Amino acid sequence: MAQSTNAVKSRKGILGGLALTAVAAGLCWSLLVAPPDAYQGEVQRIMYLHLPSILTAYLSYFLVFIGSGMYLWKREDKDDLLAHAAAELGVLFTALTIIEGSIWGKPTWGVWWTWDARLTLTAILLLIYAGYLMLRSSIDDDQRAASAAAILGIIGFLDIPLIHMSVYWWRTLHQPPSILRPDKAPWENVHPAMLTALAISFVGFLLLYFYLLSLRYRVGEMRQEIKALRLERGV
Amino acid sequence: MGPWGYVSLAYGIVWGIIVVYWFLLKRRYRGAETELNRLRSSEAAANHDKN
Repeated sequence: MAQSTNAVKSRKGILGGLALTAVAAGLCWSLLVAPPDAYQGEVQRIMYLHLPSILTAYLSYFLVFIGSGMYLWKREDKDDLLAHAAAELGVLFTALTIIEGSIWGKPTWGVWWTWDARLTLTAILLLIYAGYLMLRSSIDDDQRAASAAAILGIIGFLDIPLIHMSVYWWRTLHQPPSILRPDKAPWENVHPAMLTALAISFVGFLLLYFYLLSLRYRVGEMRQEIKALRLERGV
Repeated sequence: MGPWGYVSLAYGIVWGIIVVYWFLLKRRYRGAETELNRLRSSEAAANHDKN
């Protein structure tokens, strides 16, 4: 038991170390190596935070979607634990995306915030999953809370395709995608040094995300064990 | 504020929030771990007394 706990801790330590290394490399590349943008200048460097944050948030909500679907189908606690942990991290990375976007918006658009379709839909995404976390904590019965949250987790995911397509469907201030474009490969559209900075930052965010997710998942698992032990003893 | 001011503000806020979240998560992790170990050891002691 102690050996397996130590092995898990050591795996988490390795993942944490890798994440830290990749994040440091991403910061160096983004701030020192990548050239400034021809139109926006230095302020465009915020993109190396902005794009990895939102892609990490999307990944997180995808895990909420999968975990919620699996929970409703099989009723296994591990799926609900995954969905809950991923929802919390999704809210964190979405909030970061909105903050970065706002700071980037001020020098490029002249405003901190505007009710643009993409921005509004991203704010709605944040509210949906913040609501998911509040819903869970407002229902005492764990199974009912998990089922209600799973339904919201699945419905909330439908906002993501809307966010992605919003720049095509509506006239928005937000620029269309530079990387995920249907008509051009990323290397045809973006300077190789910028693309490298973006790739390293994204790897850093991903490793950091999985490190935080493993910690958050384990917290949920331990809380369940504590609850079960207390119930067993009638505490 | 100049362009590097906005860049510093964005990087500072984002990494600051991530570090604070990591610190709070570690605290929740340690708290749960301590509580679980305490419950397990008192359970083991209770079982030992029964036997």
